[in-house]
Amino acid sequence: MLQYVLRRLLVAVPMLVGAMSIVFFAMRILPGDPCVAMMGDQATTMALADCTKNLGLHRPLAVQYVDYLWRSAQFDFGTSLRQGYPVSEYIGRMFPHTLVLVLASSVVAALVGIPIGIVSALKRRSPLIDYPLRIIALLGLSMPVFWLGILLLIVFSLRLNIFPLIGGGDLDGVIHMLRTGEAFSSPADFLAAVGDVLHHLTLPALALGFTLAATISRLSRSAMLEVISQDYIRTARAKGQGERTVVYKHAFRNMMVPLLTIIGLFVAVALTGTVLTETVFTRPGLGKMLVDAIGARDYPLAQGAITVFTMIIIFVNLVVDMLYAVVDPRITYR
Amino acid sequence: MAISRRADPLDLSVALPGGEARRSIGGYLRRWLPLGIGILMAIAMVVLAAAAPLIAPLSPSAQYSDAVLKGPGAVERHLLGTDEFGRDILSRIIWGARVSLQVGLASVAWGFLLGVPLGILAGTRGGAVETAIMRCADMLMAFPTLLLALIIVTALGGTLVNEILAIGIALTPNFVRLARSLALTIREQDYIMAARALGSGQLRVMARHVFPNALYALVVVATLYIATAIRTEASLSFLGLGIPPPTPSWGNILSEGRQYIKCCPWITTFSGLAIMVAVLAFNLVGDALRDLLDPRLRGE
Repeated sequence: MLQYVLRRLLVAVPMLVGAMSIVFFAMRILPGDPCVAMMGDQATTMALADCTKNLGLHRPLAVQYVDYLWRSAQFDFGTSLRQGYPVSEYIGRMFPHTLVLVLASSVVAALVGIPIGIVSALKRRSPLIDYPLRIIALLGLSMPVFWLGILLLIVFSLRLNIFPLIGGGDLDGVIHMLRTGEAFSSPADFLAAVGDVLHHLTLPALALGFTLAATISRLSRSAMLEVISQDYIRTARAKGQGERTVVYKHAFRNMMVPLLTIIGLFVAVALTGTVLTETVFTRPGLGKMLVDAIGARDYPLAQGAITVFTMIIIFVNLVVDMLYAVVDPRITYR
Repeated sequence: MAISRRADPLDLSVALPGGEARRSIGGYLRRWLPLGIGILMAIAMVVLAAAAPLIAPLSPSAQYSDAVLKGPGAVERHLLGTDEFGRDILSRIIWGARVSLQVGLASVAWGFLLGVPLGILAGTRGGAVETAIMRCADMLMAFPTLLLALIIVTALGGTLVNEILAIGIALTPNFVRLARSLALTIREQDYIMAARALGSGQLRVMARHVFPNALYALVVVATLYIATAIRTEASLSFLGLGIPPPTPSWGNILSEGRQYIKCCPWITTFSGLAIMVAVLAFNLVGDALRDLLDPRLRGE
């Protein structure tokens, strides 16, 4: 196992370096001088030269590249041009917002997607059940998350006035209360803050969750179809076990193994989804930070955000690979 | 000790008289209906895009100062209403189909052209070539399609050609992977050995034998990627990184309409609907083709 872990790490590291190189060079061919973007057209040549020097842009590209890799490895992404404080600090503040969105929408996706997939597979011979479910899945897959988000906003925020139109709630406050122990000394305040966060989270999580549920339901459907035709399911039925036991005890657990392998893909899709979801709902988070940074030509911030996105995806894939080895011992690794 | 397997105990029911006919009609519909609907929708979209100047009732950029932010049908000539500049939404959506379809088709073609030869080369040659190609593909795969397209479009600037380039490159690793895995299976076939025995060179084997046999599956998947490309284009435009206004694209119509969702939800509703219908069309076609061609699902 240890050898396997090490081998996977050996593959992941060059992949990460490669991905980071792509980010670095893409950011370097961006049109426009970051200093001009930061200081405006009116800046004097002296000021611009100073700025270039401060940002280290006067050094040879190769030196900048090695420096970037070395600093990124230590989570030092430089200083945001617009905000004026370290990118890593900014990312640290935004990360929890994106994390709760990904978690909440994953819960929605699993709760909606897995049952739909299972029922659709089991009832595949009754078109009245399978067909509508598959159509729902297909619609979810085809519906852009930003459109669904806007429709939810129109109905639930503007017309019915149930949910807030923008913002992410006071998540920083909740985290602060947890850190300082205030959550336990004044639980009423804490619960109110959590309620506020959930209130802000509902619509974004539903929008992103529903589009993700489509992917999950299709995968669970095919995983269930695969499992249900196995010999051990027939054996279970032959033993006279009820359909419920067959499905929940035998099929469901085996179905989860192939689902596990797509968690990596799922996280990638969910993270991409947060870029759009956070923008639609004007929620703070890594995704919105990235879009804003690109719009403001804040290169260190954009570069940092993309690097963190990539790091998360590669890390999750690594973890999934390992989980897979634990869950399915039949798999031997070369 | 092979035991012949019946697919499912429920299969017995179809042997009943009348069941056969019911099943065959149901099965026929089930197999061809989604494909038919999808193809019809896709054709409708192509016609819409190609004949936009003929079909669109008004010019997409003409501003009607007497009809600013009017709802659907409020002014007779604007069936789906107008935007903040008094431009006709229906006409803009019809013209927007051009951008979506051009990006959808061209970027998939570009990704296909880049990815498939590399994938087939990797799968057929093996060795260091395969490792090098696949590691590069893995590296690009670390980025989700939208994120990679976003990086490239940001670097190159948002124009139609750059969008096509960016989305095509973002799709490339998918084609590399698929073509490689197909090539890996195909290269073990007897006809490949026969071709080799007859003296065919590596290139000839790849071009004349591996590629045509992989084409089937590649095209099916390419159809599904058209849907992905259209959605990615709309997402980029929505984020303000795609084709800049005033050229209408569904994503930028929706993005502009976002500021007016309180008073004028029709702008975002109809442009979003257009995106969904287009993506749905190609998803339906791709799905149906895959179900038809995948032998494991044929009996379903």
